[in-house]
Amino acid sequence: MTSETITRLFGAGEAFEHPVTVWVTVVIFGILLFASLVVGILGKAGRLSDASHLELRQRIRSWWLLAPILIGPILLGGVWVMLGVLLLSVFCYREFARVTGMFRSPLVSLTVVLGMIAIAFSIADHWYGFFSALPALGVIVIAAVAIAADKPQGYIQRVALGGFAFLLFGVCFGHVGYLANDANFRPMLLLLLVSVELNDVFAYLSGKALGRRKLAPNTSPNKTIGGALGAMLLTTGLVMLLGRPAFAGTEMSSWGALAGLGLILSVAGQLGDLVLSSIKRDIGVKDMGVTLPGHGGLLDRFDSLLLAAPAFFHYVGYVNANGIGLDQATRIFTGGGG
Amino acid sequence: MDDWRYDSARDLGLSGAESYCSVRREVGLATTLLTTLRWLVVRSYLKVFHRLRVEGREHLPKGLPIILVANHSSHLDALTLASVLSVEQNRQVFPIAAGDHFFETPVVAMFTSLLMNALPIWRKNCGAHALEALRERIDADATSDPCGYILFPEGTRSRTGEMACFKPGIGRLVAGTEVAVVPCFLEGAHAAFPPHRRWPRPGKVVLKIGVPLVFVDASNNRDGWRLVTTVIENSVRELGGCEESEKKSE
Repeated sequence: MTSETITRLFGAGEAFEHPVTVWVTVVIFGILLFASLVVGILGKAGRLSDASHLELRQRIRSWWLLAPILIGPILLGGVWVMLGVLLLSVFCYREFARVTGMFRSPLVSLTVVLGMIAIAFSIADHWYGFFSALPALGVIVIAAVAIAADKPQGYIQRVALGGFAFLLFGVCFGHVGYLANDANFRPMLLLLLVSVELNDVFAYLSGKALGRRKLAPNTSPNKTIGGALGAMLLTTGLVMLLGRPAFAGTEMSSWGALAGLGLILSVAGQLGDLVLSSIKRDIGVKDMGVTLPGHGGLLDRFDSLLLAAPAFFHYVGYVNANGIGLDQATRIFTGGGG
Repeated sequence: MDDWRYDSARDLGLSGAESYCSVRREVGLATTLLTTLRWLVVRSYLKVFHRLRVEGREHLPKGLPIILVANHSSHLDALTLASVLSVEQNRQVFPIAAGDHFFETPVVAMFTSLLMNALPIWRKNCGAHALEALRERIDADATSDPCGYILFPEGTRSRTGEMACFKPGIGRLVAGTEVAVVPCFLEGAHAAFPPHRRWPRPGKVVLKIGVPLVFVDASNNRDGWRLVTTVIENSVRELGGCEESEKKSE
């Protein structure tokens, strides 16, 4: 392992080398502190109804828990990001399996989880060939393993749900982990997370302000076309502002490239949201779980990242001459790279 | 084309700690892996440490739903009964354990759930409600998601090794259902690991398995429950015909 690789994977000391990392961390915790204070004061003054006070407090408390869990690994080093993404994949699959009933096919579930571990390995190894082969390999193995139960009733459903879950939670989230193979991973990951999370907030706020026509009333009754357009505008602005310093010195820092990234992130984020809404409507559940009080399950919180992560990864990889971590040592454990 | 059927987990919406203490708890991947590991370890432990002999293994049904019923005198009992099941059965057969002992604190409840795959029954308020939930799970859901129980109808471990009278709850679970009740009798478990000892000592254990009983014609009321309980208790007693000899060895 080269010293550059070791610094990237384990170098907590370099955490605040990039100014964007410092600002984003400070601003996030500042906002949380501010929100806690405001809700606390309003609650004391009796300006909030009991129900909304409780919900706001629950949400803020969940964010106090989530923010360090999200930012901590990014600051500590690449290896923690990869590990965190693996855990996110597994726990999101757990929620999906419990809601769809997939957990009743333990062999298929085991295959999906092993596939996620294989993805984490390909990421840690920085072996893009294996990473991009795994979607196909995973689906093949799931189709093969599902034969073992010798129960053809429901075979298509088991294989399709297993493959779907593997692609969504293993492969799509895997792209977040793979970003940690880039030397510039801290600002990139923070930009991705912040713009996707704020994209939700922007859609909600601009929907309240100027939303009239419904976007997809059967899938998600509260979403409006106005909200979607407003989010596209605001998120693109945010990405352009934050992306300029985050991508400084690379092709991605041009205004045109950043505007494209903002649009893609906003659209992919909202589509991810609608994907999960469709899943929940189809099954007939309100939330995917109870992991995060005030939010629902993990998936209810990370749904917008599902499609945004691969979109971000491939767009940046295409625009930047260095791709994603192409200047770094590859195939660290399996050898064969530089 | 028909819509797909999604059988969501019964304990959806319960937090982790709540679902460990609920009879609606489901068996996920982690529980499957851990209970299978436990099943493998206990099988070799019983073979080596207690030279376990199983009589009447051919009576054990291959499928589900089943309820294994036995005399209770030792913590080895449920482990021994589970060890003769097939690995697939073991995944779906829940020992019914005392809530006020094995599900007292969240940590203990987690341990009991993940490793023993046990479901709780609270002895103090083991009312109609709790039994009805257990009956529904093994009977009403049998076609879509069959399961089984390991149950000790005496309600507690015998302090002397002698079998006590069965409580009528078992009748309430199975009267009028297709569930196969498998009477079993354990010998030597009390001598090897009586309630007052901290750890088991080596000693031969014999498990006798009787012919399964089905009470599909029994009436689901107080009389039926009592009748069914008596029939089950008698067939367990019959299996342990040599109860006298065990008394002498005490």
